[in-house]
Amino acid sequence: MNLSLENIVGFFGTLLVAFAGVVFVTSGDSNGIVTHGWMMLLVAGFGVKFLLESIQDGEPEAVLEYDDRIVRLGILFCFAWGIVGFFVGDWLAWQLAYPALNGDMPWTNFGRLRPVHTTAVIFGFGGNALIATSFYVVQRTCRARLVGHTLPWLVFGGYNLFVLLAATGYPLGITQSREYAEPEWYADLLLTLVWVGYFVTFMRTLARRAEPHIYVANWYYLSFIVVIAMLHIVNNLAIPLSWSGDKSYALFAGVQDAMTQWWYGHNAVGFFLTTGFLGMLYYFLPKAINRPIYSYRMSIVSFWGITFLYLWAGSHHLHYTALPDWVQMLGMTMSIILLVPSWASVFNGILTLNGAWDKVRTDPAVRFMMVAILFYGLSTFEGSFMAIRPVNALSHYTDWTVGHVHAGALGWIAFITFGAMYKLVPWVWNREGIYSLRLEAWHFWLALSGALIYVGAMWNSGITQSLMWQTYDGDGNFLYSFMDTVDAMHGYYVARAIGGLLYFIGACIGAYNIYMTVSGPAMQTASVDPAPLAVPGE
Amino acid sequence: MEVEYDPVTGRHTTGHEWNGIKELDTPIPAIVKWCYGLTILFSIIWWILYPSWPYVSDFMRGIAGYSSRHVVTTQLQDATAQRAVFDSDLLKGSLVTLAADPDARKKYEASAKILYRDNCAACHGRDLRGQNGFPNLTDPHWLWSGDVEDIATTLRVGINSGHDDERSAEMPAFGRDDVIEKADIDAVIAYVLFISGQNHDATLRTKGEAVFAENCASCHGEKGVGGLGAGAPSLVDQAWIYGKSRAMIHQAIWQGRKGVMPGWTGRLTETEIRKLALYVTWQNDAGNK
Repeated sequence: MNLSLENIVGFFGTLLVAFAGVVFVTSGDSNGIVTHGWMMLLVAGFGVKFLLESIQDGEPEAVLEYDDRIVRLGILFCFAWGIVGFFVGDWLAWQLAYPALNGDMPWTNFGRLRPVHTTAVIFGFGGNALIATSFYVVQRTCRARLVGHTLPWLVFGGYNLFVLLAATGYPLGITQSREYAEPEWYADLLLTLVWVGYFVTFMRTLARRAEPHIYVANWYYLSFIVVIAMLHIVNNLAIPLSWSGDKSYALFAGVQDAMTQWWYGHNAVGFFLTTGFLGMLYYFLPKAINRPIYSYRMSIVSFWGITFLYLWAGSHHLHYTALPDWVQMLGMTMSIILLVPSWASVFNGILTLNGAWDKVRTDPAVRFMMVAILFYGLSTFEGSFMAIRPVNALSHYTDWTVGHVHAGALGWIAFITFGAMYKLVPWVWNREGIYSLRLEAWHFWLALSGALIYVGAMWNSGITQSLMWQTYDGDGNFLYSFMDTVDAMHGYYVARAIGGLLYFIGACIGAYNIYMTVSGPAMQTASVDPAPLAVPGE
Repeated sequence: MEVEYDPVTGRHTTGHEWNGIKELDTPIPAIVKWCYGLTILFSIIWWILYPSWPYVSDFMRGIAGYSSRHVVTTQLQDATAQRAVFDSDLLKGSLVTLAADPDARKKYEASAKILYRDNCAACHGRDLRGQNGFPNLTDPHWLWSGDVEDIATTLRVGINSGHDDERSAEMPAFGRDDVIEKADIDAVIAYVLFISGQNHDATLRTKGEAVFAENCASCHGEKGVGGLGAGAPSLVDQAWIYGKSRAMIHQAIWQGRKGVMPGWTGRLTETEIRKLALYVTWQNDAGNK
């Protein structure tokens, strides 16, 4: 018997999810929530079974070995969600060019599928990449085994249940209509539980470290975990209409609600999609090229600059709205200062490559990471630029915003993830190397051309439509109707969809390459770790 | 924990090492400090000029006296004044005179087209030829009259729109509500197919004519020629809003019809409504003659 605190708390949390599942299944108000009840019951049922077995197994032995089981699973989930997300994204791109591709069905129209795309790529692809790499990096840089026998598994399972509930709910119409925070109240409560578990696991592993200092990658991962917790809870404060229904109403209203939402929305970009992936960069780039980080001081100055400034910048999403001027102006100025620490990170990454530029040529994974840094520089410059009010008057509500987001998402986040994964997969499965460097290079070039076509098309279409919207003749009459601006977008939308298709094909090749690596032969001897594990699991 | 020399950069490491990763002790480049300084300086100047930091119940207003509410109000006033000058001719004289005035058409047609596309084209089509369920505006067939003043009235109050003075018209659900027996429905369909010049069952047609006269002629006119200007279409022309097939005619008789056009008073100004009435008239084939 092993009735540790970890197992008891985990058991109650899992039972809570199972209980909610029973309530939804037996008295759910809609088909959607009944379906979600079954999913929760099924996943929580596995959780209960797993916990009961762990409790019966008794006290585990102290192992002097890194725990990479969740890392491996996370990599697979990352790619699986990625393929789903890229596919739906490109389908939507084709829908925008040819609307009949929505099949004229409610479940497949743009409004319902769009959050499936964003959730699958941000939380499914990005989130699993962050959980997997953070568990890997924190163990290696602390020389300590991941703390916890059951909690990390519950975090991983619960998190993916959350993504599943989210992505399956939207086609059925279950949504809070808050961008990037669409999941309804019960999924939000589940994520809150999961996130506490994630935080505890990460902090306890840090506390167990054998190194005197905490490596900067862990600072970035930790800021991701802490700030996302804060954002998630505040932005999702809502009152459910009933305990058996999928509808809730937000606690805030009007402009306060808009500000809360974009404080969340912008910092989800800042702390989920930036600091988390900077953590990835700070570990996998120096490891891949075997070079020291260019400047320890720059990484610290960037870290605190980004952490402090991002939290002010959300109001630049609400320029020229009912939001008071002073909030808009503060958001704008902080966004401008934010460029400095962002670009300091860019230079720190690029200058780290000095002495190893040959690897950019010979190793596609390093090439992925190098281009990721450039795209990070491009999109952070663009972000600060677009936050300036007069520029925003041109860019807001146009496809330029969509292009900006995808420069960051396709070019930075996914590139650094692919680069890191191509290194990480052989390490955690103990393989000689990746299955095919040729396929890896194909993936790189397809992804790069796809991203460039996408972003280029959206710059053109965004600026075109914005200029058309605000073109008047000398008498104050519009020169173009809205319909004319939609017509003018068609060619760009086709180009964007082609770019997305190339990106999707690249990702499929990547997934195949990973699959072949994993199913290929293991190395005869384990690789020699420069600094082996020092602190065993209890 | 050993400080090492890195020959590539000429720097030393900090002495820390994590899993083989080291860091150089490179000082922060001057340009980073300068950029921080300049962007912060810019922000401070901006805060002094424009609304910025909050107090407890007020905020720093800024010495430039900027207020986006003031700016947008002024811009809207200016734009309204500019447009009023341009549109002033539309309010002079009757629509009939304006419709026949080539100068008015030359001056207003372009902006009227944008107005039409932004407000009407979603239903009536950008070429004004309508689509299934929405009438063609370019042909000579009108439910309520194609007179320019009447078009303006339709625009103002709408059809079955809920406006107090709406144009109201409804085809009852003769079949569903058991107003006409099933056998008589088949007969009247044969008759409608006959008067619209389509293939039909000649034996049923005679009976259908009597059913039509009793139930339908009061709205659709004797022998279905329409022209009553009360929202019921002629059935002898080739303009069919919902289609002229037997199935569609049966559907209309069975479940009735009640098409809706919104009333635009309150959404568009009187000037804009007059401009649209003129535009529709100008584009109408009959109006062009």
